Amino acid sequence: MLFITIMIIGTLITVTSNSWLGAWMGLEINLLSFIPLLSDNNNLMSTEASLKYFLTQALASTVLLFSSILLMLKNNMNNEINESFTSMIIMSALLLKSGAAPFHFWFPNMMEGLTWMNALMLMTWQKIAPLMLISYLNIKNLLLISVILSVVIGAIGGLNQTSLRKLMAFSSINHLGWMLSSLMISESIWLIYFLFYSFLSFILTFMFNIFKLFHLNQLFSWFVSSKILKFSLFMNFLSLGGLPPFLGFLPKWLVIQQLTLCNQYFLLTLMMMSTLITLFFYLRICYSAFMLNYFENNWVMEMNMNSNNTNLYLIMTFFSIFGLFLISLFFFMF
Amino acid sequence: MKYLSICSISFVNLISISLSCFLLSLYFLLNNMIYFIEWEVVSLNSMSIVMTFLLDWMSLLFMSFVLMIASLVIFYSKEYMSSDENINRFIMLVLMFVLSMMLLIISPNLISILLGWDGLGLVSYCLVIYFQNIKSYNAGMLTALSNRIGDVALLLAIAWMLNYGSWNYIFYLEVMQNEFEMLMIGSLVMLAAMTKSAQIPFSSWLPAAMAAPTPVSALVHSSTLVTAGVYLLIRFNIILSTSWLGQLLLLLSGLTMFMAGLGANFEFDLKKIIALSTLSQLGLMMSILSMGFYKLAMFHLLTHALFKALLFMCAGAIIHNMNNSQDIRLMGGLSIHMPLTSACFNVSNLALCGMPFLAGFYSKDMILEIVSISNINMFSFFLYFFSTGLTVSYSFRLVYYSMTGDLNCGSLNMLNDESWVMLRGMLGLLIMSIIGGSMLNWLIFPIPYMICLPSYLKLLTLFVCIFGGLSGYLISMTNLYSLNKSLLNYNLVTFLGSMWFMPYISTYGMIFYPLNYGQLVVKSFDQGWSEYFGGQHLYYKLTNYSKTLFLMHNNSLKIYLMLFVFWILILFNFLLFL
Repeated sequence: MLFITIMIIGTLITVTSNSWLGAWMGLEINLLSFIPLLSDNNNLMSTEASLKYFLTQALASTVLLFSSILLMLKNNMNNEINESFTSMIIMSALLLKSGAAPFHFWFPNMMEGLTWMNALMLMTWQKIAPLMLISYLNIKNLLLISVILSVVIGAIGGLNQTSLRKLMAFSSINHLGWMLSSLMISESIWLIYFLFYSFLSFILTFMFNIFKLFHLNQLFSWFVSSKILKFSLFMNFLSLGGLPPFLGFLPKWLVIQQLTLCNQYFLLTLMMMSTLITLFFYLRICYSAFMLNYFENNWVMEMNMNSNNTNLYLIMTFFSIFGLFLISLFFFMF
Repeated sequence: MKYLSICSISFVNLISISLSCFLLSLYFLLNNMIYFIEWEVVSLNSMSIVMTFLLDWMSLLFMSFVLMIASLVIFYSKEYMSSDENINRFIMLVLMFVLSMMLLIISPNLISILLGWDGLGLVSYCLVIYFQNIKSYNAGMLTALSNRIGDVALLLAIAWMLNYGSWNYIFYLEVMQNEFEMLMIGSLVMLAAMTKSAQIPFSSWLPAAMAAPTPVSALVHSSTLVTAGVYLLIRFNIILSTSWLGQLLLLLSGLTMFMAGLGANFEFDLKKIIALSTLSQLGLMMSILSMGFYKLAMFHLLTHALFKALLFMCAGAIIHNMNNSQDIRLMGGLSIHMPLTSACFNVSNLALCGMPFLAGFYSKDMILEIVSISNINMFSFFLYFFSTGLTVSYSFRLVYYSMTGDLNCGSLNMLNDESWVMLRGMLGLLIMSIIGGSMLNWLIFPIPYMICLPSYLKLLTLFVCIFGGLSGYLISMTNLYSLNKSLLNYNLVTFLGSMWFMPYISTYGMIFYPLNYGQLVVKSFDQGWSEYFGGQHLYYKLTNYSKTLFLMHNNSLKIYLMLFVFWILILFNFLLFL
């Protein structure tokens, strides 16, 4: 609990700081409190993951510190950051921290060793600080490359995946691409996208965590006793993928509209095409579940999920599935 | 439940409505009244879509006849379909058919008539496929698609009618008769009527529709549905007589009459023979209509409905007794085994031929005499009289095959004539087909037609009939070894007996190339090129990319960190030296 508090404080320091040094400090605090959360003495995988995380983040922090010092040296303690190569170095460091595409290699590997709650934190909360810092950088070329690579790799990487954690990791990379592109245009859209993404990933990881689901075949065999849970879970999958009638489409919609207004057609086409690929593999998973032509185990245990969790889950699922309609209702209300 | 079956209830209801319609029609006829009722459904941009009812003696009389035949047919079905599990559904379908027929008859508005028109098409499809087998499905599809052409024509006519601001065509027929738009509407309506009444080139569905249960054939495919086209054109008769449409229709319907008469002479299926005779009579109605004598067409329509329904009901009784065999070569000697049914059969057959003082005589003889005194070309004149001869010919051939000689069916048969429910239904129509002609004659024509003919023309009809009967006997006569002599001329017989190849033309002929090209496209595109370069190839490629990506992911973490450091160094170098 202490570490979580410190972690949150670290992120807040980063977000609110007005100098690079302060931002670096916040990131360090955040990192150092997240490591104990990750590591679990009984599990070798999580230790390895925390080590990997530490190494990567430490390297990124070093580079960040190095470049911000460089910046201050060159610009006489001025926070002007129009200097392109310096800011490219900062950008690279931040992209590495957030796990965006050309520097994403640690991310799926690490996810494989985490529990679902840690994975959720890694996918959502840990992205706030670096993304916020990226939004300060006024540099487009590296960001564009990163966006394109993120969406493409996120899409293609998830295609052959059977591990749910890796699947979520690649999905996260894909969404990160969208978030970076929204970051180029407006911070508020990024915020909306991030909130929706966090909400949708939370629903899924919440379920995965309760039922300890780590692989795809578990998905098919586990929910025999409750078709409602199963269907709603897969609908959430589709919502995360961004299929139109569900809530997940809304942030994508906003980004698509903004990018169109900014004439970023090439980027937009690439992003949408790669998102189609993600949708394809989400659909492929859901298809066999919706069509009910999968193998069911006879020895499946009774599911035990307490009613609080069920209610929470169902309320969230309701919003995830009908959110888009509800939002349009609100639009007509005011 | 024995007395309160759906058949009995509908019978009582329909016959009482029929009687009241009949009395109303007498009243209307006597006082020369017309009731015109309009209900505005929706009004849009000064165009109002209205439900219109036109009640005059013609519609009321037609309605009363349809209802009477329907009631007797339903009564008859009580026994005919008694072993059918879904008899309730069957009767409901028939009732729905009657309802759409009513809507068709009383609407002189192109939009509201569509309700009845499409209802007829739909219900007749359901009735044709009632016995669920491949043959019925094919027949039903042919019927439905042929009729669909007419439906589309009617829709197009509605679109053209938009010019006039209303779809009540009866108000525009006379005023606008010289306009091009009206000609378009008229030709489209004629097309619709020709599909419904199975004129050339849409004839092939009528014999195919005989896959329906026999009561349906009696009601739907002889007396009512197929006359819907004739009825529509009766309402449109002004257009026909003032433009070339009438001439075209005269030619086509004359040919239909001729073709059907020839076809019936070489057919061996009992129901199909009757269907072809229906077709020939429809041709007769259409052709006299196209010459402008719409009252005569109406007259023949009504009398024909009576004796043709009776003929079909007799055929149904015979088919029941022949263990569901319809081949007339297996029949024979039925006049001994089933005397009452045979009597009905013969009366209706003779009425069909125009035997004096039976129902068909009044209408048919009058039509032929009107044709004789009219100004008409030689070809049409030939078609009229030759087809009349052919009618007698196939009727006598039918009698020869089924009524005379010995029974040619299997050894163990139980022929009986004691299916009283069916017989009662038939006897009701028997009376009508005896007295119906003279009754209608007195009713419809207030002033007798003045017909003045030289004696050879007057006797021509009689001569043609006698000659036809004789030839009917001759072409079906078999010699010692049961060889039908007419079959020696095999190619000609095939051509004539298969309705001039029309069933092939309107099925294989229409669909052969589309189907083959469709297969080609499916094979080479849907399952070939577009599959290879479309979905499958894309999926294959993406999966391969994914594999390559994971090859990169297989490295140790330090390599990635090293690469990152290199990247930073490169950037730093640029920073220093640029």
